[in-house]
Amino acid sequence: MSDSPLHTVLAIQQQQREEVAAAAKAAAADPTAPVTYRVTHETRYDYTQPVTISHHLAHLRPRQLATQQVHSHRLTITPQPATTAERRDYFGNSAFTFTLEETHDALAVVADSLVTVAPPRLPDPARTPPWEGVRDLVRDARRRDLLDACQYTFESPGVPLLPAVKAYALASFPAGRPLLAAVLDLTHRIHGEFKYDPTATTVATPLADVLKARRGVCQDFAHLQIACLRSLGLPARYVSGYVLTRSLDEIEKALEGGDASHAWISVYLPDGGWVDVDPTNDKLPTREHVTIAWGRDFGDVSPLKGVMMGGGAHTVSVGVTVAPVPRKDAAPPRQQQQQQQQQQTQ
Amino acid sequence: MPMLDTTRRMGRDGQGVLPGFTHIGYGTSRGTYDEMVDETGAVRPHWQSFADALSQLSESEMRARWDRGQRLIRDNGVTYNVYGDPEGMDRPWQLDPLPLLVSSKEWAFLEAALKQRATLMSLILADLYGPQRLLTEGLLPPALVFGNPGFLRPLHGAQGQAGKQLQFYAADVARSPDGTWWVVGDRTEAPSGAGYALENRIIVSRVLPDFYRTANVQRLAGWFLKARDALIGLAPRNPDNPRVVVLTPGPYNETYFEHAYLARYMGLTLVEGEDLTVRENRVYLKTMEGLKPVEVILRRTDGSYCDPLDLRDDSTLGVPGLVGAVQAGTVAVANGLGSGLIETPAFMPFLPGLCRHLLGEELRLPGIASWWCGQDKERAYVLANLHRLAVRPAFTVQAPITDASRLSSAERAQLAARIEAAPYLWVAQEAVHLSSAPAWVEGRLETRAVTLRCHAVMTRDGPEIMPGGLCRTTAPGTLSLSMQHGGGSKDAWVLSDAPVSHVSLLRSRNAPAKTVRGSRDLPSRVADNTFWLGRYLERCEDTTRVLRAAMSRAVEGSAGGGDPELAVVLDLFAMLGHLPHDLDRREPAAQDEAVRLLITGNMDVANFVGLRGVIQNLQRVATVVRDRLSLDTWRSINRLGEGLAALRKPAAVSPDEMLGALNETIMILSALSGLCSENMTRGPGWRFMDVGRRLERGLHALDLLSALLSSPPDDVGPALDVVLDLSDSVMTYRARYLAAPQVVPVLDLLLVDETNPRSLGFQLARLMDHADALAPYLADRMFTPEQRIVMGLLTGARTLDPALVTLAEPKGGEVRLIDLVGTMRSGLWDFSETLTRQYFVHAAEVSEPISPFVELLAAKDRTS
Repeated sequence: MSDSPLHTVLAIQQQQREEVAAAAKAAAADPTAPVTYRVTHETRYDYTQPVTISHHLAHLRPRQLATQQVHSHRLTITPQPATTAERRDYFGNSAFTFTLEETHDALAVVADSLVTVAPPRLPDPARTPPWEGVRDLVRDARRRDLLDACQYTFESPGVPLLPAVKAYALASFPAGRPLLAAVLDLTHRIHGEFKYDPTATTVATPLADVLKARRGVCQDFAHLQIACLRSLGLPARYVSGYVLTRSLDEIEKALEGGDASHAWISVYLPDGGWVDVDPTNDKLPTREHVTIAWGRDFGDVSPLKGVMMGGGAHTVSVGVTVAPVPRKDAAPPRQQQQQQQQQQTQ
Repeated sequence: MPMLDTTRRMGRDGQGVLPGFTHIGYGTSRGTYDEMVDETGAVRPHWQSFADALSQLSESEMRARWDRGQRLIRDNGVTYNVYGDPEGMDRPWQLDPLPLLVSSKEWAFLEAALKQRATLMSLILADLYGPQRLLTEGLLPPALVFGNPGFLRPLHGAQGQAGKQLQFYAADVARSPDGTWWVVGDRTEAPSGAGYALENRIIVSRVLPDFYRTANVQRLAGWFLKARDALIGLAPRNPDNPRVVVLTPGPYNETYFEHAYLARYMGLTLVEGEDLTVRENRVYLKTMEGLKPVEVILRRTDGSYCDPLDLRDDSTLGVPGLVGAVQAGTVAVANGLGSGLIETPAFMPFLPGLCRHLLGEELRLPGIASWWCGQDKERAYVLANLHRLAVRPAFTVQAPITDASRLSSAERAQLAARIEAAPYLWVAQEAVHLSSAPAWVEGRLETRAVTLRCHAVMTRDGPEIMPGGLCRTTAPGTLSLSMQHGGGSKDAWVLSDAPVSHVSLLRSRNAPAKTVRGSRDLPSRVADNTFWLGRYLERCEDTTRVLRAAMSRAVEGSAGGGDPELAVVLDLFAMLGHLPHDLDRREPAAQDEAVRLLITGNMDVANFVGLRGVIQNLQRVATVVRDRLSLDTWRSINRLGEGLAALRKPAAVSPDEMLGALNETIMILSALSGLCSENMTRGPGWRFMDVGRRLERGLHALDLLSALLSSPPDDVGPALDVVLDLSDSVMTYRARYLAAPQVVPVLDLLLVDETNPRSLGFQLARLMDHADALAPYLADRMFTPEQRIVMGLLTGARTLDPALVTLAEPKGGEVRLIDLVGTMRSGLWDFSETLTRQYFVHAAEVSEPISPFVELLAAKDRTS
């Protein structure tokens, strides 16, 4: 770890560790209970040459949802930006823009959020409507909510509609099958037939290559499943967020490893609304996923991007910590153990 | 010989040639509407007087006139860049001298119909980037918007352009075989062609001035005046004197000529993305005098490329933060970002219904039959009729059209599979049968298929249509009408029943009350290129002069031994990197060889120190600052290399021929110097050009002095003669000294004498003036770094005693010439680098260190 003052220097107290373990234990005892997390997400750019001016766009503030309460969110940017602005983007996410106008050779952005996640009420997959009905309903959309769903049925820059993808998807979608049952089957197949392999892909690997190599990470699996669903005319959106990498029972271990920024998808069900599906873990998210933002694909919700003048080559390092905390706790963030890891996360 | 006997009729089958004029006959083909003659072969009434006049013109007269026209095209540098064209950049503009005539009656119909269509398109965009009622009311399928990459989501609901997305609209109209007009394409992104239409008019009206005067042709200038007023009227603030810029993707764009042309014609500043910067949600132009706020952007860069932060992040053409500024409403962009959404032909089938809904009237101009495959019925029809349809990607207007009738059945099946995979991405159109018009092709009248691109600008009083437009031509039968894929153009004359009044944008008597800024800003990038223009101009002149000295001495050639002056010149070339160092240039054979190498080397465009290489660089930077150059300057620069290029194979060129071409080059360069010193206003543009020129000439003076060093110290006579000759100082020297040249007076004349425009001292004095004049543009320091550098050099030159300069080992108080030259040269290089850093690169100043952690966004605590 760098000894730069820009880094969050971390030391965890045994007492806090116990506090976190206690919170995790309490949550594990009652699977229906909401869980509160403190999420620390640090991104650091190191440039080989000075950057004279840079513009950045961040999607780091978790969304306020029926199943997700955002108690606090704080963004710490070093060096100090000349200008900042926060707005709601087309998809309803928070989009935070900032500009650095002084010469710098490193940028650190730390997002610190306190969020409570409640488990969603999940529909019985077998009793969801047949998938063709949903397809037709959305295609001829006029109602605002259906129009909103409709926009997630098309090709987007990161999700091309390839004939091979459609062929792959169809195996899970025999005529008349209930939508969510079919989606779960597809999720299961992707989980089983694609190998999790952080070395196989980068942020820029096209979907066609992922399909061919049958390897990738969460972002690739999410894009793949979205492409499958959209090629059948079904609405699917990309969700960017965090996931607790160990179960609540094993929280002690979780603190020792790095947690991760994560990606999964969301599928539209008429009346019931959107249901999240995690192809990387072959499950329906309940309380271990914190949602930041959604869009058509990664490009719409990239956690942090920038355009800079100068800079030469750069390296990025990302560290994420997701820690269960006592529910009433809204105190200032404590310094927590954190491990640097490369940007490609689970 | 008359070209066309208008009293005769065409042959009855339409294939007839005019009796007696078999080589220039005009034949139309059955089933095609011809613009000039009707189906009986009779000339149409509105063409009658034009055809009469044409028939009075002999073929040779027409040829002579058109040669002048072609010359104008080359001189004016009208080009259309074609990506991947083997001819490379800047293919000359393809123009036919014969205009397309449109009668006043027909124009009245077209004008009204186009106004309606422009209004309709504007309303559709306003809705789709706003309330989207067209979707909730089911008038448009959502896929046309949400599946369309032209829908730029960050601009939905953007305050700054609400309801004003469409400022410029163009439609390609064509005539069906039954004579009615239809629209074959809509342009809403950043319509091009208006500038080309204007340039076509300028050229054709000069080739056919007599025709033009008598034909009551409606003028184009008035429309540009309205366009300029409309742009000014968009300014969100500073309404009296807003800064309006033209944003271009740069010289590699296919219509860059037009961007530069329009900027100059309308008096706007031409900028590239990197010239603009966004600070606190406001757009600024980086100029020599610092950042200047921009109120209006006439956009010629595709919307999705305009902001790498919010839109396509692979774009290098954009302005990071521009979307934020548009959202904040601090800048107006015309057309609005995202306006390309509706230019796909997939919208065409819906326009009649939308017109009834939005305007309560019938659509006056039909579009060509189009089927968007995103709908079941239409897709079924397309798949069943693929063999007779043209198919294209629905959302890429530039993509080539596939004529499915020409595909093999296997290829057609493949296409059908692609359509089935993502039907909404495809649109099919009926094959287009265009009308024909006469074109002048190598001395003959031939038919060409034509379409007309008509332009609309939205004004306070509604859309205004340019009376005329860019007529585009293809060989009969060709389907695609993009200039990208070949084809030519014509002027379009909209005829008026009454005489027309003359309006010119530049010298208008009823000039608009609001005028744009008198002096245009100088973007840093332009300043940089102007500086290099000056340097290359001077380098070109210096190289030409030294080459001329070599060639003239090679031609005269002293009998017997090698020419000692030629040896000096050749040494100079060796020093400048043109020749290998290891030749003994005093040997006649070696001199011949060296002269041959000089000719081939300087004729080689790829050799960057060679004359043609320098000319090429000069022309490259001139292209970039083209909107800042007068037409005469541009023409002269364009002609610079012609003399050399016209010579035969370099290996076969004699010194004598070379000399002729060099003399011609010197004449053009002298004309350019005259233009620069007499015709350029003394703004920062001129200043940077002159700085470049002075710097280069100063370096050249030092190079010449170095020639003295390569001669044996006891035999500098020939070198002194050459140096005086090359610095145009022979006369001066003789007038002053009436003796054979000697070292000390020559050094005085070339180093110190500030009255000699070729001396180093003169250049330094001018650079000092420039450095002083530039200083106030920057922060209020005592002296700028470049002031300090020049001051040091100038003082050095002024206090120099030439008598103390020695070519040999220095005695007490003496300074060696080689050291002096070295010091001055590195000083000039320092100056150049400092200037670049200060004015061109815009490196941000390093601010004071701040505390490492600054809390930015206070947490908004919400109760759980």
